[in-house]
Amino acid sequence: MDAAERSLLHETVRDALAGGRTGSGTAADAVLTELGWLEMLGAEPRDAIDIVFTTLGETNTVATALDDVVITALGIEPSADLTVVLPPFATSNFPGRITDGEVHIVGLTGARIGRVSRVVVACESDVGIQRVMVPAAAATAAAVRGVDPDGGFHLIDIHHDAVDAVPVEPAVWIDAVAAGRRAVAHQIAGACRTMLDLARTHATERVQFGRPIAKFQAVRHRLAEALVAVEALEATLIAAWDEPGPMTAALAKATAGRTARTVGAHCQQVLAGIGFTTDHPFHRYLKRTIALEGLFGSTETIVLDLGRELLAQRRVPTLIEL
Amino acid sequence: MHIADFRAKLNAWLDAHHAELAAPFAPPGTLDQRVAQMQRMKSVLFEADWMRYGWPEHVGGLGGSPMLRTELGAALAGRDLADPGLFSLIEVLAPTLIDFARPELAAEVVPRLLSGAEIWCQGFSEPGTGSDLSSLSCRAEPDGDPDTASTWRINGQKVWTSLAQYAERCVLLTRTGPADSRHRGITAFFVDMDTPGITVAPIEMINGMHEFAEVFFDDVVVPADRMLGELNGGWSVAMSILPYERSSCFWQRIAYLYRRLEMIVEVAPDDDRAAEVIGNAFLHLHMLRSRSRVTQHRLADGATLGAETSIDKVLVATGDHIVYDAARRLLPGIVEMDDSDAGEMWRTEYLYSRAATIYGGTAEVQRNIIARRLLDLGTDA
Ligand SMILES: Cc1cc2nc3c(=O)[nH]c(=O)nc-3n(C[C@H](O)[C@H](O)[C@H](O)COP(=O)(O)OP(=O)(O)OC[C@H]3O[C@@H](n4cnc5c(N)ncnc54)[C@H](O)[C@@H]3O)c2cc1C
Repeated sequence: MDAAERSLLHETVRDALAGGRTGSGTAADAVLTELGWLEMLGAEPRDAIDIVFTTLGETNTVATALDDVVITALGIEPSADLTVVLPPFATSNFPGRITDGEVHIVGLTGARIGRVSRVVVACESDVGIQRVMVPAAAATAAAVRGVDPDGGFHLIDIHHDAVDAVPVEPAVWIDAVAAGRRAVAHQIAGACRTMLDLARTHATERVQFGRPIAKFQAVRHRLAEALVAVEALEATLIAAWDEPGPMTAALAKATAGRTARTVGAHCQQVLAGIGFTTDHPFHRYLKRTIALEGLFGSTETIVLDLGRELLAQRRVPTLIEL
Repeated sequence: MHIADFRAKLNAWLDAHHAELAAPFAPPGTLDQRVAQMQRMKSVLFEADWMRYGWPEHVGGLGGSPMLRTELGAALAGRDLADPGLFSLIEVLAPTLIDFARPELAAEVVPRLLSGAEIWCQGFSEPGTGSDLSSLSCRAEPDGDPDTASTWRINGQKVWTSLAQYAERCVLLTRTGPADSRHRGITAFFVDMDTPGITVAPIEMINGMHEFAEVFFDDVVVPADRMLGELNGGWSVAMSILPYERSSCFWQRIAYLYRRLEMIVEVAPDDDRAAEVIGNAFLHLHMLRSRSRVTQHRLADGATLGAETSIDKVLVATGDHIVYDAARRLLPGIVEMDDSDAGEMWRTEYLYSRAATIYGGTAEVQRNIIARRLLDLGTDA
């Protein structure tokens, strides 16, 4: 896709998703299906994931496209009838563990869990990593209110026979985590763009001391700081696609978490009282980024893992070249 | 030549010639040693053609994308062969000559800069003029009519001029319009530093080095054909530096910061506290490198770089602080209480790193530019 095609598609997706922010994600999923999301994901994964997840973030829309991204990375054909269990919040641990022919699963899913018949889970076991398919009916799924009640998140607990377990190369799970991290980082980047737009607009309209607050240098510098963070995040996403791998994906995701905090804090301060109300849309974006920050590892755990890896190698890889 | 091939060949060559290129003293060395080393290295690299890639043929280069010279600068910085602060002055000054000097002048002097025969300096700041560059007052008067004068007479003072005491030439900004003409009344000249009337007084910097100087101009006569660009067109000369400073120089600085972080990683304790500090620094450097890469690809694709490079500048300056703060946290005492060569190196560089938010436009000025030009928040008055 060239730049013009990409921006046209971005506009189309944005128009189609505008206003669809329900917790079940059915409306947005239908829209994405109509737009040919799964075909795009198969044919042009980079553009598909970038555009769809950025837009989900920008418009604060819930959809279950993340399932398709992770399922594809696990080497399975995605389908509306199949969901995947994500690692427990703030970790990138395996959601499943197989012992004595039984699988015990603890993790998160999106809203699709309410309308599928099957659940796929990556598990650790004494004989390596395995992929297990269990009936959705076996799952105890509790919709989480949490910080983002509209986000469609569910806590999952499953005990089931580990029948049909399929061995999986470690690299497959590592790739699935990387794919999930890139997608979530795009979604956070989209949400950060909107938070900054909201704060910027407010700064130019809100008048105090006889002038728009955008005239005050303290306010300007906060917004500038937020823009630096967002643009840096977008650059790490370009790097994560140009040099795809676990480390560039981890860095993009950790940058996303960091950026969400920077942008959230500065924009909230600029929006002040109005941004503290649920009348203003800001709170939904802030809360969504707080929830997303914990998917596939928190910023802190990713940063710590990266630091440990560098220390183990005693090297600092540059990862991307001109 | 494809950039990846160039990089591979360059690295192989640098590996093979390391002994010839490396400094004959332990880092950091004195400034005299460092400057002499840089010039010697440039001459070796020029002889072997590496210093000529990416520069136009009419100034002694071999042509090709400017990214080629960026690769060279980064490879040298990453191998600790060049101090990016000193080395990248080439990127700040040579393009100015290429774009604004008479072609014969550029053809004569640029090869001398590239080959290590000369050092140039940048005379912009003055005692009364820092961030507000358009307020400068160092005066140039024509001898006769400004449009036909054969010489100009310069009076005034510059300050914090890096390497002025070593420099053969200076790219100098002067006031040629009325005192209040701001950016409309500035003219740039290319001045020989041995012209009578120029006095250079080195200043000791916070790290003990005398890397910059005061430069006094007392009835200094400069030929009119040394004017760079148009009469009263000095502002565009000054602004033209931005694209190279913000692309090539930054990529070199970034390579250097990766190497410095690696030096910390080589010896840091293998514990979680160190892992956290290192992980955070790595995260920032990657962000910075990713951004700088995007900027350079835009430049290579023909984009005109402008205010958006203030974002790169903020990230570089912050990165400089983060890496050297990491050194203090993970190598306790190295900056504060260590008189070995290693201590001397980390101390000078730590102290120098604090300038990253000052030179090339302060951190605050960058944020002003971002607010006004990128976020379109209007003026702040
Ligand atoms: C190591 C080093 C090397 C240098 N080399 C050179 C050189 O080779 N050639 C050369 O010409 N110059 C050189 N300089 C000078 C450098 O360009 C200036 O220091 C810089 O432009 C800032 O000017 P100033 O120091 O006068 O600070 P000022 O402009 O006086 O600023 C002081 C403080 O006020 C803040 N401030 C100023 N204006 C605003 C504003 N509008 N809004 C918010 N805050 C503001 C600044 O951010 C800063 O924190 C060098 C400086 C250093 C430190």
